[in-house]
This record gives sequence, structure tokens and C-alpha cells, in this order.
Amino acid sequence: MDWTPLLLSAKLAFWTMLLIPILASPLASLLAFGRFKGKSFLDAVITLPMVMPPTVLGFGLLVVMGPRGVAGGLWEDLTGGRLVFSFAGILFASLIFNLPFAVQPLRASLEKLDPRLLESAAILGLSPLESFFRIVLPNCLGGLAAASILVFAHSLGEFGVILMVGGSIPGQTQVASIAIFEAVEALRFDDAFKMSMALVPICFAVLMIINKINARRS
Amino acid sequence: MKRICAFILVLALMLPAGAFAADLFIAQAANFTPVMKEIIPAFEKATGLTVQATYASTGKLYGQIISDAPFDVFLAADQKRPDKLFADGLSQKPFVYAKGQVVLWSRDKALCAEDWKAGVMNPSAKKVAIANTETAPYGTSAMNAMKAAGIWDKAQSKLVFGQSISQVFQFASTGAADAGLCAYSSVFTEEGKKGCFVVVDQAPPVIQAACILKSAPNPEGAARFVEFLSTPEVQALKLKYGYK
Repeated sequence: MDWTPLLLSAKLAFWTMLLIPILASPLASLLAFGRFKGKSFLDAVITLPMVMPPTVLGFGLLVVMGPRGVAGGLWEDLTGGRLVFSFAGILFASLIFNLPFAVQPLRASLEKLDPRLLESAAILGLSPLESFFRIVLPNCLGGLAAASILVFAHSLGEFGVILMVGGSIPGQTQVASIAIFEAVEALRFDDAFKMSMALVPICFAVLMIINKINARRS
Repeated sequence: MKRICAFILVLALMLPAGAFAADLFIAQAANFTPVMKEIIPAFEKATGLTVQATYASTGKLYGQIISDAPFDVFLAADQKRPDKLFADGLSQKPFVYAKGQVVLWSRDKALCAEDWKAGVMNPSAKKVAIANTETAPYGTSAMNAMKAAGIWDKAQSKLVFGQSISQVFQFASTGAADAGLCAYSSVFTEEGKKGCFVVVDQAPPVIQAACILKSAPNPEGAARFVEFLSTPEVQALKLKYGYK
């Protein structure tokens, strides 16, 4: 029984959780506070990965991230390596795929923020940066935590997108869901069962944590 | 309003009838799709029976069959799964219906200039796609060829694995991988014609077996289909797509 795929999944989930606030926070603030033309268009673009079949999204990413694609070509010029079939590649795909799952809770918690708080802060002489760290962040911590943990669980179980761009390389892109799928196809039901059983308690714990956070918020 | 309701009702009644009206249901391994698309109309014309085929990976179809999917005939990409169905008493005796061949396919014509080994080992082939060596028969065959040629270990770092032979072709045709160890039949598709190929002569032929399922809703139709598979007409079609 090889546990590498599970560790790889955990690594992918961890990095996705760590990096996604950097990508999602500006977009969430833009959607929460921005007044501009094309806002609903941007909203739709960000939410699209949530409703598209993962295999369709995965195929799109495979083309974009391949050496002939925009992202893949740029990556190859910069690093000399290939973006698809690498850990960086599945991480990139995971970030895109998880974006709406992070943006939506963040946006909701930002919209709940009382604008008078920010106005008072400005009157009392706080710089925008100070008011971000002393007002926005503490007030949105719940939303941020919920988003991160949701994204963690979500990338732990991600299958379709990674199937398309990963190439199932052991230790690099062969995550747990792929390994389970392959075990089932190879009629190794025992291995598939063991790996699934390892995933279930982790996902269950994650859901319990989300419930706790939500209960505290309301 | 009434008219719209009636229209929707008629449509709703028609759709399932249209979609499930076939006399014969066939579970077909994906690599044989191009040939099957020609065999089915010929069979329908010859017998008047209508056929509906599901194209998926052998493993997936096997899973559906042992979960009582209502197929009449199972055309696999290997011998293992039909044999297992027979051993478990779920099918009639399996028979070989086609022998496939592995080719090295690439969009980059330079990779087909010499033999397949040179193509795989060429430094400009940074990533080479191969089907899962455990579950996909074409993957197993390609692996055996690389082992026989003594390049299996050397090529490890450039290999990427597709779940099925169709995914291998998808990796290669989108350019995500520089080349792929594909099924000969994919060379004849629209995308396949845009690239080049060399036959992997060291790869053992992929022996594809089929069987009539014990639970077949239409056993007579299934028998007629199996009979049809050995006609000269089908032989010619198989040859046309690189099968023996």
C-alpha cells in the first residue's frame, strides 16, 4: 500500500489553501466594494469554474497550460520546464478551480462589514493599510477561515481537473483521487477502499470545523 | 398555455423513446470507436436491427456490467476482463475480435523521422504520453516494447500517464505532451491526420476480446452481431483502421 498519493493530495490542498487568499482577496473586495461596468461579467467569469464540468475546465486548462498555450508558453520561457504534468501545474489548475469557492465566502463577509466602521476609522486618522489590518481583517477572519478550509477540503478530493492536466506521475501529480480511480480500474478494490477510508475522516473533520466557524459567526 | 403544455408533454414522451429505442446495446472500448462507427450502420443495413453503442474505457464498462448495466455485447480492449466475466458466469465464452497496434504519434514531424525509439529518446520530446500500464492494454504493450528496447528506465522522467489510450492521444494532440504511444486507430481521426506516426514494431499486439453477456436483453440480436463481426466487410474495415 503506497501512501504517496495521499501525501501529495495533502500537499496540494495545503498549498492551494495557502496561496488562494492572495488571488481571491483582491477579487472579493473588487466584487464587494467595486462600482464599475462589467462587474457582473467579472463575477460570472470567476464563478464559472464552479458550474462547469471539471473535465471541460480541465481540457481548457490543458490547452492553455500546454507549451502552445498562453500560460504554458510563458511558464516554459521563464522556467524551462513544462507547466502541465508538474506539481506547479496541478497547483495552478487547483487555484483556478477553487477560486469561486474562496471568493464567494470572502465577498459575503466583506459585504457584511459595516461601512460606518471604515468611515469612522478614516475620520480618526487610520491609513487604509492600518484600517485593513485593524478593521477589515479581524472582521472577516471567519469568512477567510471558512474559505480556506473549504478550499482545502475541496482540493483534497479534486479529480476531474487534475485528471486532465496531471498525467498521473507518481510523486508529482498522482493525487489520491487519481490513485483511487486507478486502483478501482485495476480491480484493486482493497487499496481503493483503504485510501478512501483515509480520506473520509479528514473530510469529515474539515466539515466539523466549518460548522464550528459558522456557528460562532452567527 | 395549453398548447405549450401539450408540446412539452409530447416532447417529454418522445425523448426517452427516441433515445432508448435501439434493439441492441453494445459496450465498446473507446479505442475501437472509429471502426465501430462504420460497422454499426453496415450491420443495421444488413439486419434491420438498430444498435446503440456506449464508448468508454474497458475498466469502466466492466464496472458497469458487473453492476447489471443492460448491455448485450461487450467489446473490450483486452482479454482479461471478458475472461473474468466468463469465469464469473456473467458472459458466454469470449472470442478475439481485433488485434490493435501501438504507434508513436506526434504533431512534430521530426520525431517520426527515424524509428520509434529514437522518437521517444529525442531530447525535443520532453514529455511522452503513455496509457496506464496497469489498466490500459495499450499502456502495457507500450511498456513491454520500451522494456524490450531497453529504454524503459531511461525514459521514465519524460513519461506522463493517461487513464486510457484516448487520453494519451488527447495529451499528444493538444501538444501538452510532445508525443504519445497511441493506438494505430487514432492515426485515422481528423486530429490524427495532422501529425505523424511510426509503428512501435516491438510492441506486442493488443488482443481485444469480446463476449455476449448472459444478461443480454436481446441474445439473438447479440449473436447476429457477433456473426457479423467475422464477415469480410468488417475485416476490411478493421484493416482500414490499422487493426488485424
